[in-house]
Amino acid sequence: MPSTRFETASEDETIELGRRIARELPSRAVILLIGNLGAGKTTLAKGIVEGLGAVAADEVSSPTFTLIHEYSPRVCHIDLYRLETAAEVATLGLDELFDRDAVVLIEWGERFPEIMPEDRIEIRLEPRGDQGREILVTKP
Amino acid sequence: MKILGIESSCDETAAAVVEDESRVLSTVVASQLDTHGKYGGVVPELASREHLRAVVPVVRSAVEQAGAALEDLDAIGVTSGPGLVGSLLVGVTYAKALAFVARKPLIGVNHIEGHIHAVVLEARSGGQEIGYPALALVVSGGHTHLFEVSERFEYRLLGKTRDDAAGEAFDKVGKLLGFGYPGGPVIDQLAPYGDPRKVRFSLARMKGNPLDFSFSGLKTAVLRWTEARELDGELAERRALLRRTPRPTRDQWLAVTPQSTLDLLAAFQQTVIEELLRRIERSAGDIDAQTVIVSGGVACNAGLRKAAQAARLPYPVLFPTPGLSTDNAAMIAAAAFRKFRRGEFDDFALRAQANLTLA
Repeated sequence: MPSTRFETASEDETIELGRRIARELPSRAVILLIGNLGAGKTTLAKGIVEGLGAVAADEVSSPTFTLIHEYSPRVCHIDLYRLETAAEVATLGLDELFDRDAVVLIEWGERFPEIMPEDRIEIRLEPRGDQGREILVTKP
Repeated sequence: MKILGIESSCDETAAAVVEDESRVLSTVVASQLDTHGKYGGVVPELASREHLRAVVPVVRSAVEQAGAALEDLDAIGVTSGPGLVGSLLVGVTYAKALAFVARKPLIGVNHIEGHIHAVVLEARSGGQEIGYPALALVVSGGHTHLFEVSERFEYRLLGKTRDDAAGEAFDKVGKLLGFGYPGGPVIDQLAPYGDPRKVRFSLARMKGNPLDFSFSGLKTAVLRWTEARELDGELAERRALLRRTPRPTRDQWLAVTPQSTLDLLAAFQQTVIEELLRRIERSAGDIDAQTVIVSGGVACNAGLRKAAQAARLPYPVLFPTPGLSTDNAAMIAAAAFRKFRRGEFDDFALRAQANLTLA
């Protein structure tokens, strides 16, 4: 699986990287954003969502409580942080989202690999110092 | 005139009957807190199933407790968004069925507008005038929004969170430190025992709109604080306490929480309060607000209420009573009155809208 490694030095650079990643995405994709609390998953999502032309980066906020943010019929952002079992995730109707011609960004989705499609993109984020991030993009 | 309100946008199934926009005749909330406590959060599958199970008895007991019958109602108001589609659908579908069978007008209500109307309702029942324009801060686990509210209840969004909601930050910090769910009330209970000066957190620096909020940096700072310390022992003790006692008392928590952690909680809570109050003051000045309304689950926070009072602001700052701060249906009925007066009714095409906005 081909991986590409990036480094960003600030939040703004992470958002900019998101815009760049967005330019190379197909119209249908499931993207897992993988990293600990505070790793920058929502920050990178801001750039991707804006890069896809859905809404501005400032409009993208954490879906932890709301679970699903649909920024346009073709871009949605999901957070499974609060869910414990695959049965709970199943009731969110993710299959229907995966079947759409849409880009689906998922935080904490790696905890439920059996539910995630095989041909997914995985993006791993790790802090490097205070503001910096190392970001590894793995495509199927 | 009596309106029945129904709310099921997130984790509470609720129904209430409100009379003449000022008297809460009944308010019933089937709290799912005990179900969720086991899972560390609001679980949608459970939520949806619980809503389905609860909606009929909850509505029935709200109507009964109001000493009313379905035919006495003048309208049915229901939350149509924002929220989880599966949860919203339960309330919306049930409200439509009731409206159809009882031949009553149906009114879809925005959940966030409902929170603002919780305060309007209580002000009216207490004979207190709300001056306009008002500033409204709706602050909960899912929302942190500042609105300008005109006398005609037109809304203008002044600022909102760009990452985590304030209540979400409380909840994640609570979970991170082993206090279970929901973290906010426990942190609020324990914060007075800590010294907020012992831990320094910086305030968020906003580029662009200075009235927007950000709590993700603060959450990360708490995570770094925990990583820099050996907390395994106290975390294990607190988790064991939670297993023994689903809802520990303040003294039980204090027994398993060292002073350094209490200081952290105090500093965290004080920082969140400062972020909220600074933006209230700044935006209230900008719009020349005559009243400030604070509503949503975080409005229950005793530290926030105390700080708002101590700030001696030049306009009244109104909070709902705790029962009307968190999700409830009296606020939905209250908001429906205003739409009733304007003739803003919905037909059976009313949809549950997950991302419904207010402004």
